[in-house]
Amino acid sequence: MAKLGMVFDLKACIGCNACVVACKQENSVPDGVFFTRTLSHEYGEYPGVKRVYIPTICNQCEDAPCEKVCPSGATYTRADGIVMVDDQKCIGCSSCAVACPYDMRTMLTKDALTTGLFGTGELTPFEQQGYGRYTAGTAVKCDFCSERVDAGLNPACVVTCPTNARIFGDLDDPNSAPSVLIRERNGRQPLPEKNTKPKVYYVD
Amino acid sequence: MIQTSTGLVGNSFKLGYRFQRYWDTSMAIAFFSAEVGTGLFLVSFYFDLLSGMILGLAITGTLKPYFHLAHMGVPGRSWRAILRPDRSWISRGAISIGLLIGFGVLHVVNRSFGLEATLGLPAALGQAIAYLAVAGALVVMCYQGMAMSDSEAFTLWASPLVPVASFCYALTAGALAALAVGWGVLSEGQRATLSTLALTMLLVDLAVVVAILLRAKGKSKGGAFSVDLLVRGEYAASFRNLVVILGLVLPAALLAVAGSLRLVELFALLAMLVGFFFFRMLMFKAAVFEPITHDLAGSFGLPSAR
Repeated sequence: MAKLGMVFDLKACIGCNACVVACKQENSVPDGVFFTRTLSHEYGEYPGVKRVYIPTICNQCEDAPCEKVCPSGATYTRADGIVMVDDQKCIGCSSCAVACPYDMRTMLTKDALTTGLFGTGELTPFEQQGYGRYTAGTAVKCDFCSERVDAGLNPACVVTCPTNARIFGDLDDPNSAPSVLIRERNGRQPLPEKNTKPKVYYVD
Repeated sequence: MIQTSTGLVGNSFKLGYRFQRYWDTSMAIAFFSAEVGTGLFLVSFYFDLLSGMILGLAITGTLKPYFHLAHMGVPGRSWRAILRPDRSWISRGAISIGLLIGFGVLHVVNRSFGLEATLGLPAALGQAIAYLAVAGALVVMCYQGMAMSDSEAFTLWASPLVPVASFCYALTAGALAALAVGWGVLSEGQRATLSTLALTMLLVDLAVVVAILLRAKGKSKGGAFSVDLLVRGEYAASFRNLVVILGLVLPAALLAVAGSLRLVELFALLAMLVGFFFFRMLMFKAAVFEPITHDLAGSFGLPSAR
């Protein structure tokens, strides 16, 4: 079975946030909730100041702390390595959210599903068709667009990225694009000291 | 090298520290009430103080579930919390609370009405019930700290001293509350023992709190950031005045100087409880997620984790 993962090419990312929008669109992510972000960081001294963009996403950890602490069995890992949340089992205790070192989980409040993108209490047709997949009070996170993956497609953020800064594939396959990148450009995982074995790597 | 984006960044798209915001006041009250109630039950059990056991069970059995359910996103499914005792401290804790309340109530009923004699049950059964209640109490006193220390996300929490603090604070609250509840019931000798226990535990609490901060400060930059928030930053006044002085130093001084006066004991209990509650609150508030890219340091000038 595959071990799906992603590589972020920091040299390629231009911080356009198209991935963030694509994710919102694909998953009908409610207002104020983000399954992926492109963080920015400025460093250096004038006139040599630089800005770098760092995409973040659920790292689908092999040793997922969110799964270990889940008291209801709602969080589980698929055979292909994607960490999922079963919203019909989730009790909304937030244990997973405080266990994730990457702050990549969100507790979905009832307000998030009823306020609407314009804050008027009226849901747009887009929200009406999309919010059915969510249950208020439960934990939500990125699942690598598992429905797309099941259909043989890449996650929406990967498809949308105009600079190919997001590379998705099977990390168990030494010839896959992410495996080659990790090998050739010294891919590094976020916060490796947390021992979560993320399946997301960064190259620069 | 100027680092312009390494402070708190809230929910923004900046790289930096982010506050823990998932466990809030209702969870702090749930943790606090479970530890105070269970501590009171355990100390009262040791001194065979019936009113203390009843009050302890009442606090743990009402406030803890109420505020925990208030925090939960889907309280109607809360029963599912017991499903994974093999891996989750929340599950273990939920089962232990059931054990404590169930067998604790049975023990109290047995103690009050002498069920063994009335129903002709063997004495060993009464003992087994009592020991199961105590076993449940011991786990409840620690499990919330275990649930916190299990989280590698926050350096401030990820310490074996956090469950120790839970246990010690619970025992301290139990000793002081038993002194208040047992007025006129406990013997002078028992009161002196409880007073000494409370005073000793207050000093132990202080040592454990200091040790938690020292360990967090030395472990990572995120830990040091949290400690700074508590010692010099946003929460310094509350931490110093409420947790340390009001919650630990003042009650210890009162017990050491005039511990046998009831008013002093009551004031010491009240001060300790206020300090304990703020300790719970501030441990939640000062926990921060670290910037996720420590390991990428060097390549483009980000601060390293250690």
